[in-house]
Amino acid sequence: MSEPIIRTRGLSKRFGDFTAVDALDLAVEPGTIFAFLGGNGSGKSTTIRMLIGILEPTAGEIRVDGIDVVHTPRRVRDHIGYMGQKVSLYQGLSLRENVEFYAGLFGLAGAALERRWGALRERFDLAAAEGRRPEDLPAAIRQRAGLALSMLHEPRVLFLDEPTAGVDVRSRSLFWDVIQEEAAGGTTVFVTTHFVEEADSCDWVAFIDAGKLIADAPPEALRERFSDGYRVTVRGGDPRAAAAALTAAGLAVESAPDAVRGTAPGLPPGALAELERLRARQPDAHVEVQQPAMTDVFRRVLTDAPRPA
Amino acid sequence: MTAAGGRLRGWLSRVLAVAWREATLLRHDRGFVSTIIAQPILIILLYGYGLSNTPANVPWAVLDRSQSAQSRQLVQDIRHSGYFLAPTPVSGYAEGHALLRRGAVLAMLVVPAGLRRDAARGRARVQVLLDGSDPLSAARVGSYVAQIAAASAPPRRPAVREGVAPGADLPGPVDVRQRFTFNPRLADRDFFLATLVGMLLTNLCLSASSLGIVGERESGTFEQTLALPISTVEIVLGKLVPLVVLGYLVLLGTLTLQGVLFGIWPRGSLVALLVVTLPFLLASLAIGVFVSSLADTSAQAVFITVFFIMPSFVLSGIMFPYELMPEAVRPIGGLLPLRWYQIALRRIFARGGGLGDVVVPALAMLAIFAVLLAAIRWRLRPRLG
Amino acid sequence: MSWQRLRTLLRREARASLRDPFTVGILVAVPLLAMVLFGFVLSTEVHGLRLAVLDGDASPASRRLIGDLRATGAFTLVPVRSRDEIELGLVDGRLGGAIVVPPGFGRDLAEGRTPEVNAIYDAAEAVLAGNAEGYVRGVVAATGARLAVRRPASGGGIAVVTSVLFNPTLAGVPFMVSGTFGFVLSFLAVLITAVTIVNERMAGTFEQLQVTPATTLEILLGKLLPMGGVFALDIALMMLAAGLLLGVWPNGSAAFFWIVSALYVLTTLSMGLIFSATSATAAEAVQKTVIFSIPIVQLSGFAFPIRNMPGWLQWVTECFPATHYIRISRAIYLRGEGPLDLWPELLILAAFGALQVTVALRTMGART
Repeated sequence: MSEPIIRTRGLSKRFGDFTAVDALDLAVEPGTIFAFLGGNGSGKSTTIRMLIGILEPTAGEIRVDGIDVVHTPRRVRDHIGYMGQKVSLYQGLSLRENVEFYAGLFGLAGAALERRWGALRERFDLAAAEGRRPEDLPAAIRQRAGLALSMLHEPRVLFLDEPTAGVDVRSRSLFWDVIQEEAAGGTTVFVTTHFVEEADSCDWVAFIDAGKLIADAPPEALRERFSDGYRVTVRGGDPRAAAAALTAAGLAVESAPDAVRGTAPGLPPGALAELERLRARQPDAHVEVQQPAMTDVFRRVLTDAPRPA
Repeated sequence: MTAAGGRLRGWLSRVLAVAWREATLLRHDRGFVSTIIAQPILIILLYGYGLSNTPANVPWAVLDRSQSAQSRQLVQDIRHSGYFLAPTPVSGYAEGHALLRRGAVLAMLVVPAGLRRDAARGRARVQVLLDGSDPLSAARVGSYVAQIAAASAPPRRPAVREGVAPGADLPGPVDVRQRFTFNPRLADRDFFLATLVGMLLTNLCLSASSLGIVGERESGTFEQTLALPISTVEIVLGKLVPLVVLGYLVLLGTLTLQGVLFGIWPRGSLVALLVVTLPFLLASLAIGVFVSSLADTSAQAVFITVFFIMPSFVLSGIMFPYELMPEAVRPIGGLLPLRWYQIALRRIFARGGGLGDVVVPALAMLAIFAVLLAAIRWRLRPRLG
Repeated sequence: MSWQRLRTLLRREARASLRDPFTVGILVAVPLLAMVLFGFVLSTEVHGLRLAVLDGDASPASRRLIGDLRATGAFTLVPVRSRDEIELGLVDGRLGGAIVVPPGFGRDLAEGRTPEVNAIYDAAEAVLAGNAEGYVRGVVAATGARLAVRRPASGGGIAVVTSVLFNPTLAGVPFMVSGTFGFVLSFLAVLITAVTIVNERMAGTFEQLQVTPATTLEILLGKLLPMGGVFALDIALMMLAAGLLLGVWPNGSAAFFWIVSALYVLTTLSMGLIFSATSATAAEAVQKTVIFSIPIVQLSGFAFPIRNMPGWLQWVTECFPATHYIRISRAIYLRGEGPLDLWPELLILAAFGALQVTVALRTMGART
């Protein structure tokens, strides 16, 4: 178990009487995708702004890539990339000029910049947009550009604040492809979002509500705890074979006149393989796997998770 | 009758609905509220206690080559007029000139060596050098000295009383009996404060309404409102209502403050004042709304507003009398509601005017308002394509 | 401090601002407009005041007096025949004042008595009335002194010969022009800066900047230097406009004035940065600027002499950098003073500048 690349202890932020973030303890492993979920006003953005050092916490400590963000926020800047909710492209400058500007601040220029930007441009399909101004570009392209910019200087940690808000479906899936590539390459990605289904693309999920952490686990673990579980339905084919396969898969079986149903809190390991074998042996059988929706999981978390009154 | 009455009721209720929403928004804008309260107080105190064109504390130098009774009497008379500080004696022309050049003194009195002899022959004369940088002060100071000198005579006449208030009649071979109509104390302050309310209201109107609409356009709520079954004119009027109410509150507050602190109450009809304020507020607010309809961003709206406030102050005659402006420029000020309001204010405050005196200004401002409303309607009509 | 980063910041600022015609227009047009407005439209002289004259004496002495009044060039004399005409004219606003010479004026003077002349002013226009009063008193006193018979024993009055330095014609325009620089830089520059930067913060780009390696000092300079450059250009343009359109050129060194003004600009721009850093919206930035700047401008001697204020208030005005700048502007423009004469004021201005830049750094770098 390596040292967490992001760690907070007792992180709090108060604005007058209002507590936006309350004693948050987070730990993010390097090279993982960490989803930070919560509704509007839950404290997500406040937290991320403290993590990147532009907001001073009322209490607690933050370490990012070994740097004490609370006391030496400036030192963290070379290590992190940030994409805010409002995509920060300067109007009146073309996308290319924006790139040159931010790159310049990181000391990236000339051939090195050309190489790096060339790759990103390719990956994010921004060639057509390069010469145009942000105000003339559709939101989806602006968002892609924002993400590309945050990655320009190859930071070790990416902080993305609702990167997929207001973006079309095709771009959203492109985003997550890129994010997963980055994580695979060793970059840590800290993502906030209120699209709960996106949690499935992440390695770890934390739920925040009213400034407090109410869940902090991998997505599957949350499913196991906070849902009615998986439901597999087999229609047609040999009911007994189906029942046997489901039992072998580790599911609790119940028979019904039209189908054989199996349930389990989480999907046991090897269950999918078992179901594949069933399909192979029973071509007439129709096998359906119902995974609990993350939205339902979240709703359950909100009602069930223990919270002080 | 009922159909028209029903339409009118509908119109009114829509306008008031918008007005209510605007009022709520304003109430929660703490910055705006504190500006509304703070600015009048600040400006009244400033103009009431600080700003004036009447010379006071005038520093001056004396080059006395005569050292005679006459010269000493003259210096004493000048000193005791109340406008001047204690003089700086200099021993040479160059020294005095250097003081003038540095701005350390405003005037230098040069007394020739032969003053006593000249006085005996009835031809006494002295020289005064003035720093002409500030012509207003120079002119007044120069004429004060001239008048004091004309009256000055050695010890036979008792010395002028210490602490005599500036502006009191100074004795001379010719007595100038002065009467200032309408403003017996001739205080600059009365001049400023009478029309101060116009300046404050203009400030309020332009900044509030211009930023309001642009802010909405930026955040998109304006489009949403346009989609409702409500006409542009109704929206605009609804936005204006709470600001008009605020305007009246500022008016009453300012009048009270001026009256309590400085005893300046409008001499004329208060009713006339209240009546003529309405077209003024409407017209000024309409300028603000029109301005904001021209701009695409808040930044632009602010700049355009500044563009309007500055000339407003100058051309309306509120700070500087418009008689002093070149002939060609004066009519331009007529386009500004502030100019008409200022005329009405002066008539009511200083000259004790009544309803009859404010009819023309009121009509002029209503005309401006009508024109602007049409312009706003034109500007905010849904754009095709 | 990285020069490379600073250069990057400057390049972006220049590119973005110069491409926006609106911003450039405002930055250049508003100061010029102010110069023309204040210099051309306003002047603090008396001219054309309509003065009614009721000569009840019609003697050589009274005609002499009226002639002297006319000779000042400050009045338009309107002969009238009755007091009623005067009253009507004053109420209507057609007259600014009136002089009534009583019958027996000349005879009284010749016989050593003290005749009485009535002067009536429409004091609803206090500024005009005050000026007129000054002139009239002076003229009447001077004429009276000349005409009165002097008895050697009485000593008589003293005549005064006035000469005016630095502005012999008592023209009002140079005074206004030299003060306008102070107004533009102390108020308009602050306002424009505050709003521009607030808008940037609202767009989220400021936040992004904070996450880059750029230091607060670099960000500050990246904003100050380009804006400062534009305003420095404005100053030059205003000087040219004042000279070519209004005929007012500095009596002292133009280069020295320009340098001092350019440095003062950095001070006021810092003020604008402070306002914007502490405001959430453009409206708030405007309100703050207006509340702070207008009293400061009014108290700094731009239009109203500080000397005329109560003593304690004069001490307060010394705390405004604008006061010192306006003093320096007037000294250079009107009296031709140079760096050697002005070094105490320059030092104070520099100290203020350093203070404000420091505070701006503090507020901009604060992480709230």
